[in-house]
Amino acid sequence: MGLIRRNAEPEQLQYASIPDLLRQLDDPDRDVRREAALGLDGVAVAVGPLLDRVAAEPVPAVRDAMLTTLAAHDIGRVAERLAVLLASDDAGLRTAAAEALATMPLATPAIIPRLLTNYDHDVRVMTAMVLANLRHPAALTWLAEMIRDDPHPNVVAAAVDALLPSVGPEHAELLQQAVRRFPDDPFLRFTIEAALR
Amino acid sequence: MTAAAGPGLSEADFERFREYFYKRTGIRFGETKRYFVDKRIDACIRNAGYDNFTGWFVALRLSERPDLQQDLINQLTVNETYFLREDYQFDALLHKVLPEVLAARGGPARMTGPVKILSLPCSTGEEPYSIALRLLEEWEHIEDVDVEIHGADIDSEVLAWAVRASYGERSLQRVPKPWVTKYFTPVGAGRYQLDGGIREAVTLHQVNACDTAAMRLFRDFDVVFCRNMLIYFDELSSRRAAENLYGVMRPGGYLFLGHSESMSRISPIFTPARLPEGILYRRPTGAK
Amino acid sequence: MTETEPEVLVVDDAATVRMYHAKLLGDAGFRVAEAANGLEAVEAALATAYDLFVIDVNMPKMDGYACVAALRSATVGTPAPVVMISTEDQPGDADRAYAAGANFYLVKPVTPDLLVRIARMLTAGRGVEA
Repeated sequence: MGLIRRNAEPEQLQYASIPDLLRQLDDPDRDVRREAALGLDGVAVAVGPLLDRVAAEPVPAVRDAMLTTLAAHDIGRVAERLAVLLASDDAGLRTAAAEALATMPLATPAIIPRLLTNYDHDVRVMTAMVLANLRHPAALTWLAEMIRDDPHPNVVAAAVDALLPSVGPEHAELLQQAVRRFPDDPFLRFTIEAALR
Repeated sequence: MTAAAGPGLSEADFERFREYFYKRTGIRFGETKRYFVDKRIDACIRNAGYDNFTGWFVALRLSERPDLQQDLINQLTVNETYFLREDYQFDALLHKVLPEVLAARGGPARMTGPVKILSLPCSTGEEPYSIALRLLEEWEHIEDVDVEIHGADIDSEVLAWAVRASYGERSLQRVPKPWVTKYFTPVGAGRYQLDGGIREAVTLHQVNACDTAAMRLFRDFDVVFCRNMLIYFDELSSRRAAENLYGVMRPGGYLFLGHSESMSRISPIFTPARLPEGILYRRPTGAK
Repeated sequence: MTETEPEVLVVDDAATVRMYHAKLLGDAGFRVAEAANGLEAVEAALATAYDLFVIDVNMPKMDGYACVAALRSATVGTPAPVVMISTEDQPGDADRAYAAGANFYLVKPVTPDLLVRIARMLTAGRGVEA
């Protein structure tokens, strides 16, 4: 009784084999799937199986674990597949994909130009969300491009918000032009006035 | 939109910084902290080799420079450790958390296995030893329930200090004098040695919280203290560490973060619960 | 503003949107607090009994639907009305919002008048002296 020290032999670290972990990605028990996804940290051969499962995984905690492992592979293949998920109807999935992309400064820049011209304005709004957090100097240039050129006011608003922490005198003309492009949008006017202050 | 050179940020820059820091850490600085923040940021700017706020801030936000992040966090957070730090959390442990743990596990008579408490990072040992002292002195069930206290840290040097368990007066300043007399032996030069009984009751480990495989060694913990560690990690590392902490805990287990820390910037996997003094997190029980 | 004014929690990851909704609602006589994501909103709701929530759908860490579900669950268990705001206008999105426990669903950009009128309607009788 009282404070005890565990005197038993230290537990042997039992590493599950990679094939076992890959099999466990399909286990009916959510905790097993979650731990398998986390346990595959740094394993290159797990990238494909994880990418194949992340969109269909119904349990958010398991999906988050998969994305945590995937996002550490800052490579084109992962960025491209995650970019597709930005169009998902599932709000949780698309925001989680955006979050993951924002943590991948090596691979994400290559896919941004294509996303800026995606036909779906909601995907472009999600792209602004990625750019808001992406650690890359070109993020500001792309946001400026969205503000200057995007036809949809929600996208422009999202880009202005993303740019706000970094806004400088060089952006004044750009922002004023945006107000002129959408004169009837009170939110955009309010936001840009805040940015110009 | 202009940056002020030298000490003191412009209003706009302070706002910009405040929003960035809030977004990153969930911590909001009020106006009263203005002077403190100004000085600390000035130090960061100079340490990084920039002349003004704008240059430094752009680098902080847009470039891969973990050293800038690290310096910023170091400058803005209090790093000192001492016995009974943020003591209200140990109060909550005794008065709220442990009773709930016992109730959930069937009570002292029927529960199997010890109550397990983890302190990570344990640093030089003050935190796990503080828990031990408070349990010994104040927990009504200390005699009928087995308790394992574990401390873990990535840094072998601080762990060596924790093993030695010799502390100065500053570290002991919050410890009631009767406890110092009871559990410590003065060894000269203002230092006090923690008695062997307590030292032996705490098991210390070296581990990296981001290492999923290594963290698997820790299982079925009822309570985890993870104070002032996650705030130092970048986005991906803090997520992984949070996931690893989840795996360490029993379903329904309790997680204490530092006073001004929040899981809201890190991960949704824990369920928040309210204490009078702040938020506590729990691993979901999984019952549907 | 007296302490009987209803208190609203505005939840959106975009600082500008939070500022804007805060201004609209503040000018209309509400007390306004802000949260930058769904998790923070849940934590805030544990500390304060808000009279109304205005919640964006697209947020990292915990999207709007999950946030509403958490607010309605035993974690918080608030009966306070929730207005969800989305950039989406797909059929079924509104249904999803109501299924999660929202009371109203608006699509961005939100007309200032509409938000204020809905907020007033949903909080009628709350925060008013008996």
